Amino acid sequence: MSVRVKLPSILQELSCGVETCEVTGQTVGECIKSLEMRFPDIKNHLFDRQGRLLRIFGIYLKSDGIQPVDLDATVRDNDEIVILSFITGG
Amino acid sequence: MRGYTGKLLRINLSNRGSQIEDIPEQLMKDFLGGRGLAVKYLYSELKAGVDALGPDNKLLFMMGPLGATTAMSVSRIAVVTKSPITGCVAKSVAGGNFGAFLKFAGFDGVILEGKAEKPTYIHIDGNGVHILDADEIWGLDTEETQIKLRQMHGTSTKAICIGPAGEKLVRYAVVISDRRCGGRTGVGTVMGAKKLKAIAVNSSGPLGVYDPQQFKSLSREQIEGLRTSPRRMQMTDFGTSYLTLGFEKMGIFPVKNFQEGHLEGVEKISDEAFAKIKVGNNGCYGCMTKCGQVRRVTEGPYAGAVSEGPDYETIWSLGGNLANTDLGFLIAADSLCDRLGIDTISAGNAIGFACELFERGIITKKDTDGLDLTWGNHGDMLKLVEKIGRREGFGELLGEGTKRAAEHIGKGTEVYAMHVKGLEIPAYEPRAVKGYGLMFATSNIGANHMYGRPREELAGKVDRFADEGKGKDIARNQIAQAVEDSVVQCSFTPATGLTPESRAKLLVAATGFNEFSDPAYLDLIGERILCLERSFNVREGFSRKDDTLPARMLTEPLKNAGPATGQVVKLDTLLDEYYDALGYSPQGIPTEEKLRQIGLEWVIEDIKKFAK
Repeated sequence: MSVRVKLPSILQELSCGVETCEVTGQTVGECIKSLEMRFPDIKNHLFDRQGRLLRIFGIYLKSDGIQPVDLDATVRDNDEIVILSFITGG
Repeated sequence: MRGYTGKLLRINLSNRGSQIEDIPEQLMKDFLGGRGLAVKYLYSELKAGVDALGPDNKLLFMMGPLGATTAMSVSRIAVVTKSPITGCVAKSVAGGNFGAFLKFAGFDGVILEGKAEKPTYIHIDGNGVHILDADEIWGLDTEETQIKLRQMHGTSTKAICIGPAGEKLVRYAVVISDRRCGGRTGVGTVMGAKKLKAIAVNSSGPLGVYDPQQFKSLSREQIEGLRTSPRRMQMTDFGTSYLTLGFEKMGIFPVKNFQEGHLEGVEKISDEAFAKIKVGNNGCYGCMTKCGQVRRVTEGPYAGAVSEGPDYETIWSLGGNLANTDLGFLIAADSLCDRLGIDTISAGNAIGFACELFERGIITKKDTDGLDLTWGNHGDMLKLVEKIGRREGFGELLGEGTKRAAEHIGKGTEVYAMHVKGLEIPAYEPRAVKGYGLMFATSNIGANHMYGRPREELAGKVDRFADEGKGKDIARNQIAQAVEDSVVQCSFTPATGLTPESRAKLLVAATGFNEFSDPAYLDLIGERILCLERSFNVREGFSRKDDTLPARMLTEPLKNAGPATGQVVKLDTLLDEYYDALGYSPQGIPTEEKLRQIGLEWVIEDIKKFAK
C-alpha cells in the first residue's frame, strides 16, 4: 500500500528538505511513526512529552477531499496525509 | 446610520470644551476607519517635533464601520497618537466593550487634545458629554477604576481607563477596557500625560446598516462557520497558549533576553498546564470565540491569584524571557500588570534587560533595591513589576523602557537592550524567523508583532531562515494588517472566520460604499495608511538607519535553539526588497511617484522638507 506524508517547510528542516515522503501503516498514527523512523527529529517537534500532537500542527487526510483526522484514522492506498502548521501569534 | 455614525467627538482637556464634528464621507472611503482614519487625523493635525507627553500631542480612539454591528469579532477599537517611547507614530488596538458602546452613543471616534489642569475623566450618556474631576478614581488600579465608575454611573457603564502606571507616566503604560489592553507604544502614557483617567459611556444599541437583510444573512453565515470551526474551538479552549511548546522546540521562543532558544521546564507553562487551572472564558463585545482564558491559582505562593490570561506574549515576556516556569507567578504577574496598567511585553523586556546586567555584574543588589535578579527568581521579579508600575526605586528607571534605561546606565549596556526604535521586541526570535526580523525592523511603530505577521513562514510555505525573498511578503502582510486595524477586526483569523472576500461583502452591506467590494481597493487603503505612517516618521527624522535590529540579532549566532541554532539576521537585502516593494527610496523614504500613486500628494512637501 502506498501512502504519502506532506510536510510544511518548518518540519522539512528536520527531514533534510524532503517535502513529501512515502510511508507505511494502516492508520494515520502508524504512518507518522513510519515517518519518524526515517526522520527521528520530527517526533520531538510534532508531539509533546506525553505524546500529544502540538496544537500548532494539524493533520489532514487527502482522500476524497481533505479532512482533519485523528491519529487513529485509517488510511487507504494512495492517500496523502498533510501536516499543516497553524500559527497566528499573539 | 450606515455602519459609521459619521460623527467624531473632539474634546479639549485644557479648556474642558467639546464639539461634535462630521466625518467627511471621502475620508471614510479613503481611510476606512479605525487606525487609518485616526492616523489621517493625527498626521494632518500634528506638527513635526511635538512633545509626545505635551499638550500638543493628540490621542485618538477610533472605531471601524463594522463595529457594534451583529458581525462577529469586528468591534475592537484603534488607539493612535505620537508615542512617548519611540517618538514615532503609535497605534494599538484594544478589545473589551468600550468601543461598541462609544459607537452606540453616536460616535465613531474621540480626539483628545490639550492637557487637563487636574485629574479628569469623561462621561458620555444620553444627556451629553461631561468632563469631570477624577478625584474619586485617580490612583485606583484599572479594575478598581471600572468598578468605581459602575458604582457612580450604573452597572451598564463601559469604560476605557489607565492605571497608576499611566498616571505616573511609565513610558509603556496601556489603556484598558474590561481586561483587554491597548497595550503597546505607550498610548496609556499619553492619556496619563493629559491627566485623563478614563472615558466612561452609558449607551445602548442597535446601530443601523445600509442593507439590513444582506448584513443579517452574511453575519449568520459567519457565525455558522465559526460555530463548527476546529480552529475557533481551539482558540476558545486555549487562547494563544498553544504556541509556547511548538515555538520553543523550533527556537522561536527567546530565552534570557534573547540570549538563547531553550527553556528548561517549558512544559510547566504549556497550554495543557494552563488548562488545568482554567475556570472560565471571557471575550470582547460581539465575539463568540471568547479567547480570554480566566485562570485561578489554587496552590503555592501565588494561591488565589486570578487573571484573564496570560496569553502567549506574556507567557514569553514574564516566563521564558526571564527563565521562569512558575505557572502561579505568571498568573499573578499578568494580573498585576493589567491592574497597574503596563505593557507586559515591554515590562518583561525591561526586567530581562536588568537580569542580564545582573548576570554580568554590571548592576548589583545595590542598584536594584536589594532585589535578586537571578534568572528565574520570580518572587523578586513580581516585586519589580510593582515598582515599575508605580515608578518606585529601580522601577523608576526601568519604567523609562530599555532604550532610555541603557542610555542612563551607560557602560555599553545598549547592546543588551532589545528594542527597535525604542519599542521592546515581542515573543518571536528574529534569528529563527527572518520575516519577523524584517517586520520588526521596518514597523513604523517600533518592534511589534501586530504590524504584519510573516504568514508565509509561519504557515510553513517559505524557508524561515532565508535572508532574502521576503520583502514583498512582509510589505503585503503589513498592508493587510493596516486594513484589519482599520476595519478594527480581531487579528486572530480563527476568531473571525473572515476572508478578504467575505469581509468586503460585509463592508458593502454595512456602509453601501461599493468601493469596498473590491479587496484590491481595500489593499490600496492599507498601503496608503502604511505610507502615511512612514511619512509621519520621516517628518520626525526617521529613515533607513532606524530600520534595524539589536546588534545581538545581527551579529551573535543564536545559541541552543534547535533547528535555528547558529542563525543571524542579514537585513540589507531584505530591506532593499521591502523598500522596492513599497515604492520607497533606498533610504526608506516614500517617493514622490508613490505618494501621487496612492493619493498622498499632499504629503510630498513634508517629505521634501524633512527627509534625511
